[in-house]
Amino acid sequence: MTFIDFLNLLIAALLLAGIYAVMSVGMTVIYGVMKIVNLAHAGFMMTGAYFAYEVYERLHLDPILAALLAFGFFFLVGIAVHWLLVRWLPPSDRPTLQSLLLMFGLWLVLQNIGYLIWGNTDRSILTPRTLDLVHLGPITISSLRLVVFVAAVGCMALLEVALSRTWFGRSVRALIQNRYAGRIVGVDTEKTARLTFGLGIAFAGVAGALLATLFSFDPDFGRPFLLRAFVIIVLGGLESVSGVALGALILALVETFSILLVPAEYQPAISFGLLVVVLVVLPGGIASLWAKRRRLA
Amino acid sequence: MGEEAPAGMSTAVIAPSRLEARARAGLPWLLLAVLALLPTAGLTPNIVRLLFITFVWVTSSLGWNLLGGFTGQVSFGFAVFYGLGAYTAALMIDRGVNPYLSFVAAGLVPAVAAFLIGLPTFRLRGPYFAIATIGVSEATRVIMNNLAITGGASGFRIMEHRPFRQVEHYYTALGVAALAVAASFLIAHSKFGMGLRAIKQDEEAAADLGVNPYAYKLAIHAVAAALTGIAGGVFARYAAFIYPQGVFAFQTSVYILLMPVIGGIGTVWGAVLGGVIFGIVEEQLVASFPQIHLLLYGGLLILIILAEPDGLVGLLGKLFRRLRTPRRNDGDTNSGGRKADQVLRRAGGG
Repeated sequence: MTFIDFLNLLIAALLLAGIYAVMSVGMTVIYGVMKIVNLAHAGFMMTGAYFAYEVYERLHLDPILAALLAFGFFFLVGIAVHWLLVRWLPPSDRPTLQSLLLMFGLWLVLQNIGYLIWGNTDRSILTPRTLDLVHLGPITISSLRLVVFVAAVGCMALLEVALSRTWFGRSVRALIQNRYAGRIVGVDTEKTARLTFGLGIAFAGVAGALLATLFSFDPDFGRPFLLRAFVIIVLGGLESVSGVALGALILALVETFSILLVPAEYQPAISFGLLVVVLVVLPGGIASLWAKRRRLA
Repeated sequence: MGEEAPAGMSTAVIAPSRLEARARAGLPWLLLAVLALLPTAGLTPNIVRLLFITFVWVTSSLGWNLLGGFTGQVSFGFAVFYGLGAYTAALMIDRGVNPYLSFVAAGLVPAVAAFLIGLPTFRLRGPYFAIATIGVSEATRVIMNNLAITGGASGFRIMEHRPFRQVEHYYTALGVAALAVAASFLIAHSKFGMGLRAIKQDEEAAADLGVNPYAYKLAIHAVAAALTGIAGGVFARYAAFIYPQGVFAFQTSVYILLMPVIGGIGTVWGAVLGGVIFGIVEEQLVASFPQIHLLLYGGLLILIILAEPDGLVGLLGKLFRRLRTPRRNDGDTNSGGRKADQVLRRAGGG
């Protein structure tokens, strides 16, 4: 492998990391505030992909623009789902079996709706830009991946600003740190939870729409990405945006460079393999992660 | 939890409860006797097949319930054990090994796999363990799809050098289901089972009381996997053809998880009831509405979680209690029962 090949792979990994971060961060904020592991995230990513597809096919809007529309649309969907289902769960300061199974049921429902509307054939979004390349000397970059990366980084930056600068972000951080203390100082938990859930689902929708521009999809599209999101969350710590970005980068690097070593048919097992390696080699790291969370909560 | 009388009504109903206890102890034997005599009543092969499949599901349901219900560790990866059991039995029977010996191996191989899988994944807690099990099942299916010895993705056809006798399959499945019920009750009433319930309620507190959560989880994971694997092996011998997208499918994991949740998570009879209902409904449902069965199962899951987290057994228990509560001290006992319910709910749901 020449240095140029190495550089090309490195850039590919970096571009992949952006979209990975966006797809994981929605799960992270919902977990942080509500202690719900949102398995339906996979279902919302899938619907996000089809949302971009429909917007592109019917309205002929650019898929990147469709991703922006998806943000608003899925924010409202998230708030509706919270109002309809999630708010009835008994509040808890740790993840419960009930919330896990509820979100799992919702995922199954979304997946079936996907099959009913779009069937089980693979779809993909092909724009004139899909095969465009940017040449920087000897380095070649897919321009679509570059655009997706910029959009992803933009989303992450906006989230970081929203969490650090706004009233809503302050309540979110308060609830992540300590739910009860947050209530004592007057944080409206119900309202914050509702908005957070909307935000998390919105990020799932955006991630799905962005992923749809890069990969083909079917109604079972979200599952491998749910796993990756999970690996990223475990790698990068549970409740911080920068941790998610770091985890996304690690996973993207491992996946990209493993192409050199692992046969293609075993690629889907990479993310899980990485998880096992982390858990076996760094059990202290994970355990201390939990201990830290326990102290905070 | 269905066995324990709620705290509030112990004084009023001592005599009936002793009678009830005796009836409860006798009921499983009666059920087993009836089911054992059923094939002599001249059932159609279709009904026998339905009962056979139901026993297989009941066994897997009870297996999952040991880990998910008793110990509170939800796994989305039981298709791994079901599939490993199926493939182990298939490969051995195909090579001429005695089928019953093969079923033993179909229990042992998944048990060892469960132990190995548990070593890294039980370092994760609760929902994180649950998602990691999705990863386990994905990775396993990828490997099985590419493995040469099992025929890869195109599946494996079992050539058994014996005549096919449906009744033999029926009794095998019934025996395995009975074994699973017996194992569940033995574990539920043992010190080991108490430790598992303690882990479900509060892992730190259990550890303080001298229960090693990591070791307990590894052990029960292996037992649960063995039961599920035997079920898979029994199914494989009957089906005579298995393929990775079938036995290792994510859907199989979903079914295995759904049954105890429908019936009543954490209770032996709940897991049995869930398996029976699922076995019957799945056979009818797949025939009539194949395109919306995920929707039905997902909707059912949402409904049960929000309306009655203790499943059908919880619902029946509530109805039963309301029926037999004497009118005059209605409010009193009811509040006691409700309090007990809340305690159980808290213990179960966290």
